[in-house]
Amino acid sequence: MDPQPHVDEERWDRARTRDAFGRLAVARNGNAPGAERLRDELVVAHLNLVRYLAVKFANRGEALDDLIQVGTVGLIKAIDRFDLERGVEFTTYATPTIVGEIKRYFRDKGWAVKVPRRLQELNLSVNRAIEKLTVSLGHSPTVKELANHLHASEEEILEAQELGQAYNLLSLDTEVTGDGDKNAQTLADYIGKTDPGLANLEDRTNLERAFEVLSRRERIILFLRFYESISQTEIAKRLNVSQMHVSRLQQKALEKLRDVLLEK
Amino acid sequence: MNQPEPSSEHLGTVELRIPSKPEWVAVARLAVAAIANRLPFSVEEIEDLKLAIAEACTIVIQQGGGSQAIDITCDASTSHLRVEVRDHRYRDRGESAKRPAVMAVEGEGLGIFLIQALMDDLEYSVDPQFGTELVMTKRVGA
Repeated sequence: MDPQPHVDEERWDRARTRDAFGRLAVARNGNAPGAERLRDELVVAHLNLVRYLAVKFANRGEALDDLIQVGTVGLIKAIDRFDLERGVEFTTYATPTIVGEIKRYFRDKGWAVKVPRRLQELNLSVNRAIEKLTVSLGHSPTVKELANHLHASEEEILEAQELGQAYNLLSLDTEVTGDGDKNAQTLADYIGKTDPGLANLEDRTNLERAFEVLSRRERIILFLRFYESISQTEIAKRLNVSQMHVSRLQQKALEKLRDVLLEK
Repeated sequence: MNQPEPSSEHLGTVELRIPSKPEWVAVARLAVAAIANRLPFSVEEIEDLKLAIAEACTIVIQQGGGSQAIDITCDASTSHLRVEVRDHRYRDRGESAKRPAVMAVEGEGLGIFLIQALMDDLEYSVDPQFGTELVMTKRVGA
């Protein structure tokens, strides 16, 4: 993949790095004024290492400059903690620290959500580009043509097509709660349904409005009959009319309501 | 080497041989990504695996000494993914030849350290005569 131009540079650097760390330790112990400058020199001397590592993570949706910046923080931490007496090379020691800092940056940025989205977006644009290029080229496009068109690498195109959807697929039977017991709830249990109560609410509002066309007596009869479930005979007694009359009034009121509601 | 954990169940082994050339490394990356995707790895862990495999292939190509092919073996278990990357002419000389990454010597590049930082376990052997082998493991949920 990458040629490693750093090797020679690194070889040249090793003795000097060791020497600089030695002097830095002495300067720190003696509170000498040169410590800061030595530290700066070491940072600058290893920016290449940070860059080399940051580039490896550059395809993950964050700007390279940002990665270099957080990687440099890792480098500074490594310089401050490095002890020559450990007997390891500084690059050996610094690499996990720098990588750790870069990875933490991704984690803090909620990267786990970001990469699938990047692939999904690419997946969508790949599908659109296929249609477009099939027309403009007069043949089904090659991956290379797609990559050129979308300014992506060929590998990214393949990956977006193969894994773009797969990253996101979850079975509806995936358990969300419980440990495989009967009470376990699955994703499917959380899918929204049309709430029948909502339709009821609408009917109720319409009915309330329709009630306005009724006379006061008709309203009372319907209220007692349907809300309080009182028999026609009992209503008749309360209103001091015959049961037949209640029946007729109820009939007429229901017809009025029906007419009003059907008009809507 | 890596002792399989008691609760671990072997899922399958995938063997891949690619030409020992940089332009074929992407094939290994994609294959490992697809295999890792069958285990409960996060997207970030899959990206780390891809990067580690690419670095391993790069090391094998650089140290290959004219070897024509890279052999890649992926062992998938419920608890971990173990990937072996070696050049085709590699001859096993037993445990004594394997080294932990901190012993990396000059000229082997930074890739070893990078793989070490990305994987849970790495053992490798680079020898001009016997070839190069890297054995790395990433554990689920580590």
